[in-house]
Amino acid sequence: MRQMVPEVKENPENSSIKTYPGALTFLRKHIFSSKGLRDRFSAGLKKNSLPLAFLSPAVIFVLLITFLPILHAINISFYETSYLQKTEFVGFRHYWNYLQEPAGRQNILNSLIYVFGSLILAVPFGVLLATLLHRNLRFRTLFRTLIILPWVVAQLISALLWSWLINPSYGPVNYFIQLWFGFPVDFLSQPLTAMPTLILVNVWRSFPYPMLLTLAALQTIPEELLEAAKVDGASTWTRFWRITLPLIQNTLLIAIIMLSLYYFNMVTLPLVLTGGGPLGATEVISLRVYREAFNFYHIGYGSAIAIYILLFNILFSLLYIKILRTEAVC
Amino acid sequence: MSRRPGKFSKYLESMVVYGILIAASLFAIFPIVWAILTSLKQEATIFLYPPQWLPSPLTLENYIHVLYNSNMPRYFLNSLWVVFMTILLTLTLSSHGGYAAARFSFTGKNTLLFIILLTVMIPGIVVLIPLYLLATRVGLLDTYWVLILVYTAWQIPAVLWLMRGFFETIPRELEEAALMDGCSRLGAFYRIIWPLTRPGLAAAAVIVFVNVWNEFILAATLTTSDDKRLIPVGLYYYIGAYGIEWGKLMAAVCIALLPIILLFIFLQRSFIKGLSSGSVKG
Repeated sequence: MRQMVPEVKENPENSSIKTYPGALTFLRKHIFSSKGLRDRFSAGLKKNSLPLAFLSPAVIFVLLITFLPILHAINISFYETSYLQKTEFVGFRHYWNYLQEPAGRQNILNSLIYVFGSLILAVPFGVLLATLLHRNLRFRTLFRTLIILPWVVAQLISALLWSWLINPSYGPVNYFIQLWFGFPVDFLSQPLTAMPTLILVNVWRSFPYPMLLTLAALQTIPEELLEAAKVDGASTWTRFWRITLPLIQNTLLIAIIMLSLYYFNMVTLPLVLTGGGPLGATEVISLRVYREAFNFYHIGYGSAIAIYILLFNILFSLLYIKILRTEAVC
Repeated sequence: MSRRPGKFSKYLESMVVYGILIAASLFAIFPIVWAILTSLKQEATIFLYPPQWLPSPLTLENYIHVLYNSNMPRYFLNSLWVVFMTILLTLTLSSHGGYAAARFSFTGKNTLLFIILLTVMIPGIVVLIPLYLLATRVGLLDTYWVLILVYTAWQIPAVLWLMRGFFETIPRELEEAALMDGCSRLGAFYRIIWPLTRPGLAAAAVIVFVNVWNEFILAATLTTSDDKRLIPVGLYYYIGAYGIEWGKLMAAVCIALLPIILLFIFLQRSFIKGLSSGSVKG
């Protein structure tokens, strides 16, 4: 058989080929090139076998467990579901419905308030503490350790700690409130106070993040720059606004983007602290997904809302990548 | 004319600085301190008004109850097992991947790395529903393995990038010397290079530990039976099961916090490195 092939190629008088003029060149070209391709491929595989063997398990793993489920979620989001079964194709109806229903709009508004409210408190607070910790201080390490501590506390545990701290009957916070105002406040059961409380707990847990990033950025600012400005008579305030801030602004932008995503995707803290209540006042979009899917088993509808979250994340990630790129250019 | 700050204003400034730092420290640790104080109180003194600040009489009865009469030790061990296996898998996969990414160039490498990095940005809540469905279909629901596999996939991207950075700091000459001495490529990696990345592996292990130890939503969704619960899930159902017995709950919370806080105090450098490379899984 092996000898047959070159014979066919070598002998243009072969009858079957003669009937199709041009077949020989086609065959030759084809066989030659595919052989070359195969050769090149296997040579490449051999040369690259080690890195491929090293890298592909991680890649396959990640693709299987994060990309595949996303396709699955997109698929389900177009169906009506009953318990875990797809029943009827509904196209974009879930997507449309979520924007139409009042609870959906309330979720979106809540998420915006939650994200912006937390950012407005956590970022300046983090930056302030970072600039203070950057100075030459006594007990600097001690202060830093204590201040970072909330960041390693789980969301669930933060919710438990705070709900005990602000307990209306026995908590120390309400003891003082009662002392000063004469009545206790049940923060988590009033629509007006529930969201600010949720934001406060979130800020408590997350402000170390912008603080750490800022602290790292401050260490890259040359000491002489600030010294020179000081000699020229610039006040602490001016030095911060004119020198420090412009130099750390990219870091801050990154911190803001990462925190926005982190806040936006949060489920555990609102779920455990308020459960979305009272009257949906703290039900953010991500919590709604969880409740639709696992409290009511509306898998299709929940997936559609989840895809909105995904789109938001993609948008912000693109921003993030853009900033990283410009930073790399600088 | 430039104003020079006088002695008094300098003194004032440092007062303000220390004042703010002390206030921030108190704000940061008071909820934890209050939990510890509560956990050391007797049932009756917890519900006093005005609140009793320091526990008296001091008692360990809440801890004894949690350790001997609840399922908390089981949850603790479950968490340890899942964390341990996740660390093992994550470090193995991502240190090999990180090495390939740092040392070799091949077509599509950058695309692959970029795709991996992108998955850091995929929130847990988006994949939660399909993961639940998939786990049900393949019969992995309510097993430790489903948690270990998903956590590993979630941790790989950040850790792989971290390890890649570590491998890049190791000079190539080391491998070249090993190859000259007759080592194979694999031998050079396992005998020479891998041991050198121990600090990197330690930092990565700490990050994975904290992320997995603290994770709640996935563990709550993908396990159903009581004896498969991880610590945060156990704490969550602890509330529902008995009404809220705050003394016991706070003792359980303190037990759950203990490993994390110990790790944090002793390995702060690794922590800070890891925290700033954190993901947004939520």
